[in-house]
Amino acid sequence: MTASAPVSVSASGLSLCYGGTRALDNVSLRLTRGVTGLLGPNGAGKTTLLRVLATAVPADRGAFTVLGHDPATARGRQEVRRQLGYLPQTPGLHLDFTPFEFVDYVAILKELTDRAARHQEVRRVLGEVDLADVRGKRIKKLSGGMRQRVALAAALVGDPGFLVLDEPTVGLDPEQRMRFRELIAAAGESRTVLLSTHQTEDVAMLCHRVLVMAGGRIRFDGTPAELSARAAGRVWSSSERDPGAKAGWRTGTGTFRNVGDPPEGADLLEPTLEDGYVLTLDGDRAEVTA
Amino acid sequence: MTWHVAEDDLRAYARGELAPPLLWSADTHLAACADCRALLAEAWDPVALDAAWERLDAELDAPRPSLFERLLVRLGMADHTARLLAATPVLRRSWLTAVVSLLAVSVLTARSGHSTTTFLAVAPLLPLAGVALSYGPVLDPTHEMAVVSPMHGFRLLMIRTVAVLVAVLGLSGAAALALPAYGLDALGWLLPALALTATGLALTPRLGPVLAPSVTGGAWVALLLAAHAYRTGADQVLVPFTAAGQGAAAAVAVLAAGLLLLVRDRFDLSPSGAR
Repeated sequence: MTASAPVSVSASGLSLCYGGTRALDNVSLRLTRGVTGLLGPNGAGKTTLLRVLATAVPADRGAFTVLGHDPATARGRQEVRRQLGYLPQTPGLHLDFTPFEFVDYVAILKELTDRAARHQEVRRVLGEVDLADVRGKRIKKLSGGMRQRVALAAALVGDPGFLVLDEPTVGLDPEQRMRFRELIAAAGESRTVLLSTHQTEDVAMLCHRVLVMAGGRIRFDGTPAELSARAAGRVWSSSERDPGAKAGWRTGTGTFRNVGDPPEGADLLEPTLEDGYVLTLDGDRAEVTA
Repeated sequence: MTWHVAEDDLRAYARGELAPPLLWSADTHLAACADCRALLAEAWDPVALDAAWERLDAELDAPRPSLFERLLVRLGMADHTARLLAATPVLRRSWLTAVVSLLAVSVLTARSGHSTTTFLAVAPLLPLAGVALSYGPVLDPTHEMAVVSPMHGFRLLMIRTVAVLVAVLGLSGAAALALPAYGLDALGWLLPALALTATGLALTPRLGPVLAPSVTGGAWVALLLAAHAYRTGADQVLVPFTAAGQGAAAAVAVLAAGLLLLVRDRFDLSPSGAR
C-alpha cells in the first residue's frame, strides 16, 4: 500500500468521555484500502474507537468521514451504515436461528428486502466464510469458530466497503485463527478493514499498517516493519535476566530475551513486532508517570 | 394468429419487466404462438438467464422458515418483516407463556374475589414490559448490529412495538372476555396500557432502556397504591379506572406519543455508551 492510496476513512480530533474516563483523547487517523491493525492493552480505547467509527455511539468532539460520507447528519450516518460491516467484540447471535436465517435477518437490517436477491447474497457470504454446508443447522449447535464465522458473514453481507472487526480471533484455536486470518485477508483485498486485536501475530501476518492505542490516544501509526524497527538495537540475549531490561523472559533455548536499553556489548537480537509494541507501551507508561 | 407480441414487449418480458395487463396478455399469447416463443428465445439475454437461475437456485436452497414466520407470511405480512419479528425476543413462546400465566392468575383472582383491580393493574404493565424488552441490549443480542444498520432504529422499534402490542393486547382482550360480568369495566386497562407503553418509550432516549420502563411501571404502581389509600369505600372503583382516570390516561398516551415522535432520531444510537 503506497502513501498515496486513496483515504477511505478519515478522523480528526475524536474525543469521548465516559463515566469520568477519557475513553478517546483527540484521536486522528486516516485509513486506506487493506487491513489496518489496532493494537493496545485492555482499556486503551480500541473498542470505543471502533464503536464511534461504526456509528454506534457519537464522539463528544471531533469528526470523521467514511468513504466520503459524514455521519454527523442523519442522512450521512445512514450512508455510512450502508457502507459498513461491523463485527462487535461480543457479536450477539440468535442461537435458535440457523446461519442462513441469521445472516438473512442482518441482510434485512441492511435494507435488502427483495427476497430472491437477498437469499442469493446470503448464500454468497455463507460460501465466502465456508459455512454453506451448515447453513441449515441451528447456531447453538455450531462450534465457537463457526459462530464467529457466522458473525463475519453477517458483517460481510451487502458487500460493505468498510469493515470494522473487534477482536474477531479471541477464543479461537490456532487452526480456526489461521482460517479466520485467511478470510480477513481476502476481505481486505477490496475493502478498508480496521481490525482490533491483542494478537501481534495477527497484525504481523495480515496488516499493511498498524495503530497502537493507549490511554485513549494513538501512540503509533505506521507499518508493522516500522513498529518492529522501534525495537532495533533494544533487544538482546543474556544467560540471566537483565535487571535493567523493561521486559525479559527465558526462551525455549534457555537464554533470556531482554527488551529495553541494552548494556554495552550486549548480544543484540532481531526485533519482532511484539518487541516494538512493548517498547511503545512502555514509552506511554513513562509519559503518563512523568 | 392475427397478432403478435411487439418486440419491445418481448424484450421486457424476457427481462421480467413487463407489467400487467400486458404481461397476462403476453403469457396467454406465448402459450399458443410458436413464432413469438421463437422470438422470445432470441430476445433472452443469456447473462440475465444465468442470473435468474442463480436466484431461483438460492431461493430453493433457503431453509424453510419457522412456523411463526410462515404464520405471519400467511397473514399477509412481508417475509422480511416476518423475519424481523422472528428475531424479537419477547415474541418467543417463553415470554408469551409468562404473559398468559399472569393474565390467567389475575382473571382467576377477579372471578373468585369479585374485583377486577388486580387484573386492571397488571394488564397495562405487560405491554410496557414487552415493548421495553423487545428493543434494547437487555434481551436482544443483536442490538448493537441493529443500531449500526441502515434501517432506522425507530422503524425497527415501531415494527416490534406494534407486534408486541397486538400480541399482548390481544391476549389481555381475550382475558377480559373471561370476565363478562364486569362488561366494559373489564377493558379499563386498555388506555393505561397505551399510556404506559408510550411513556416508557418516550423516556427511553433520556433514561435508557431499563430505567425508563422501570420508572414508568413504578409510577403506575405508586399511582394505584395512592388511589387505593385515598378511596372512600371498599367497593369504590380506583380513580385510574373511572371515566376521569381513563380520560387522563388517553391524554397521557397522546402526549407521550407526540414526545416519542420528537425524540425518534435518538433511537438511532446505542444507549449503552462507550466501552
